[in-house]
Amino acid sequence: MSRAPTVLDRRIALGLWLVAFVVLWATERAVGFVRDESVYFAAAEQFARWWALLFHQPAAALSDRVIVQAFDFNHEHPMLMKSLFGWSYSLFHQTLGWVRPAAGFRLPAFAVAALIPAILHLWGSALWGRRVGLFAALCFFVVPRHFFHAHLACFDMPVAAMWLLVVYLFWRAEEDLRFAPWTGVAFGLALATKHNAFFLPVVLTPFGVLAAWRASGENGRRVLVHMAETVVAFLAYLALLVVVKGRDGLVQSWQLLSPQTFGVTALVVALAALALRLRRLEPAAFVRLAPLVAMGLLGPVIFYVHWPYLWHHPVDRIAWYFDFHATHVHYAWTYFNDVLRAPPFPLPYVFVVTAMTLPVSLLLPMGVGLARTGLRNLGDLVPALGRRFGRGGATEWLLGVNALFSILLISLPGVPHFGGVKHWLPSMPFLALLAGREFDRASAGLSSALGLTARRSIAASVGLGAIVLLPALTMTIHVHPYGTSAYGELAGGIPGAASLGLQRQYWSNNVTGVLPWINAHSRSGTRLWLHEVNGLSFRDYQRNDMLRRDVIPTGGPEDADLAAVQYHQEFREQEVLVWQAFGTWVPATGLYLDETPQVVVYRRPTP
Amino acid sequence: MRTAAPALALALVALLGLGFQLQLPRAFPSDADYRAVAEALARARAPGDVVFLHPWWTERARLFVPADLPVVGYLGHTSDDLVDHPRIWVLANEHLPRTPDADFRRNFLPDRTPAGESRQFGPLTLAPYRNGRARKVLLSAIDAFDRLEVSVEGPGVSPQPCQRAGGRVRCPFDASIEIAWHEVLYQPVRCLFILPPSGGRTLSIRLPDSPAAETLLLESGITWEHAWLAGRTDVQLTLESSAGALHLRIPGAHEGLVRGETPAVSAGPWTLRLSTTSTQDRQICVRLRALGGSP
Repeated sequence: MSRAPTVLDRRIALGLWLVAFVVLWATERAVGFVRDESVYFAAAEQFARWWALLFHQPAAALSDRVIVQAFDFNHEHPMLMKSLFGWSYSLFHQTLGWVRPAAGFRLPAFAVAALIPAILHLWGSALWGRRVGLFAALCFFVVPRHFFHAHLACFDMPVAAMWLLVVYLFWRAEEDLRFAPWTGVAFGLALATKHNAFFLPVVLTPFGVLAAWRASGENGRRVLVHMAETVVAFLAYLALLVVVKGRDGLVQSWQLLSPQTFGVTALVVALAALALRLRRLEPAAFVRLAPLVAMGLLGPVIFYVHWPYLWHHPVDRIAWYFDFHATHVHYAWTYFNDVLRAPPFPLPYVFVVTAMTLPVSLLLPMGVGLARTGLRNLGDLVPALGRRFGRGGATEWLLGVNALFSILLISLPGVPHFGGVKHWLPSMPFLALLAGREFDRASAGLSSALGLTARRSIAASVGLGAIVLLPALTMTIHVHPYGTSAYGELAGGIPGAASLGLQRQYWSNNVTGVLPWINAHSRSGTRLWLHEVNGLSFRDYQRNDMLRRDVIPTGGPEDADLAAVQYHQEFREQEVLVWQAFGTWVPATGLYLDETPQVVVYRRPTP
Repeated sequence: MRTAAPALALALVALLGLGFQLQLPRAFPSDADYRAVAEALARARAPGDVVFLHPWWTERARLFVPADLPVVGYLGHTSDDLVDHPRIWVLANEHLPRTPDADFRRNFLPDRTPAGESRQFGPLTLAPYRNGRARKVLLSAIDAFDRLEVSVEGPGVSPQPCQRAGGRVRCPFDASIEIAWHEVLYQPVRCLFILPPSGGRTLSIRLPDSPAAETLLLESGITWEHAWLAGRTDVQLTLESSAGALHLRIPGAHEGLVRGETPAVSAGPWTLRLSTTSTQDRQICVRLRALGGSP
């Protein structure tokens, strides 16, 4: 079976991309600016100015001093998406004036997020049929939290899209050598999107190496063994350097001419030489390894080239970048009435939150699909299981591993657990694909049991699909634009989650629910405290005409006339301080989603 | 596969999900329901009444309940004795999913008896309860704030008096006292908010004239997120009265109020002494009340 999609499926994928893009654009206006997003807006504007300077005064723009001025802000994340946000803002808002500022920044995010349903269709239809592709695409997109995150000019949904793209291209390249360089390019773009992508080689290397091993004769396997020996030698060398220099010393003493550079160069040169030798000796085996080679060669280059901040001081700035994420601060997070503040975090957390936030009609096929894949993959190892459930094979292993990898990674008790589902989003498209297969099996079974004709079978599939997707769709429509508050039926919806003691919301964007009231009940010069809304977001609400421009932000309730408090379990003190400052515990209004307090507004009584 | 079972299972689960979503709004009270509750409370209320929310987070009620009627709704409130309140109006919404009824029965109901008919307002139930844990509050340190004599004591040094500045008592060594609302393990508490003196010195708070009481109830805790931080020091409290000395300790990383009661005390002065070896993140909420028998 060819892995290439048919012409019709390509057109369907393009249509899915277009529909997703338009839907996201059409529904973005109501979505508030999450805390990080306004930081990225500001960074994107700054970077766009640098690109303009590069065009007009390249010599000045390329100096490290100017680069640092432009890129030091928010250098904890790479540049790809922020550059796209900035260029889009410059073109569509500043130059053409077609869209409001926020939409200008967000358009690239829509475009990248819309890749997910398109790729899911391409992959699903090639693997198991058109019905699978369509269901997978829709079932990913209609999950309330996915739909919400797809709107944001942030990196969580883009890196999920990039992750899916890299793995899809890797899968295609295993069959068709022409896709290998594109896999490398996509990996570079993924690295340039968010640090999750650094785990992609960990996931994909075993698949590439094993496939190459199977396709190799004796000579090829000897080369592969040499490659493994080279990697082991490098790791031993690295360990020696750590022992001699220490972890900090290893980073701080890394210069152009240093043992560290020698080690990395030797590794790259040796592996490249061995890859070329493999190509000469065993072309079929090289095809399997080629996407990894391309990732190894192109990924780091693209990552380095795309980020001017790295150009003059690559080692120490990359080292800082890794260190920042390796030692990321832990934000408070409520889980079954416990406020989690520091590791170790509960092992089942990610699985529980996933189950609680997914609509149950999608959780079921995703869960069954994952279980079936697990059993089929085990069937490759245990013949009895293979006879009962069938055997997985390389592709199903690839899907299963990717469906679980990010979930398991974030499940580690020492990894930061804040942020709802966004940190394990890269797993979700793969779960959607597996859900697509379950839907296909169910549809096929229904048609077969009822003896339906092909035409009626399609109608039955559409009907069943509509029934299965409808709860998610209604939930998404109901909760939009407050996606961080969404909970599925297992949790008992939003009120059930409140009683269970799950995180009510995060990222402060729900404040949009009270802005119309604030606009109507403020006068020029009203002093307004928007709890948890940072100064950049405050400015963005004003410049996007969501908050009147004549109100003045304050840093707390003491000097405020109006205060809007975000309901977080760890911030109860903030609301009580408003009682103290305003002399009342009676709110003026609030955003109460399905009865649950999300944002509570107080007005200082007039004397 | 020739069975329709998976399709039926998928459809059934989807329809159950849809059904859940469609019936959920029936659990949400309208503004008119809340207004009716507020009118009923305004008519029937008596001094010392309190409104108790069940589940605890249903705080939309605050928008409607008469402004001077206290509303209690915080995580863990079912264990609150509410000693100030002889009658409790429980405003419950048991139609909401996953309402924590077991917690309500286990922690709230003991010593509380229905004190009248419950009334229904849409999905809301308003039911009065006689609070068997209520006590007559003879004196609260908050109410006696203006009469408190505050000083800082140190080893080998004579007491250094504190000065009143507006609503706050300012003391040497960065100590101060004021009346304020603060959160102690999610509970909003109006208390004596105390910043203890530095250098391990002792803050002395003396009330010269307290009435005789069955007990002095001392409650104290670290406010907000300062409580759970590791590596912080204990806070020692000693209450001296005619009943002797009551010692309390707030352990370093303890969240919530610690409580202690004295035996019966006769009329006269009492003195609360408070100290900690390091003041970092030790912002303390103290509630001290002289209690009589059941009201």
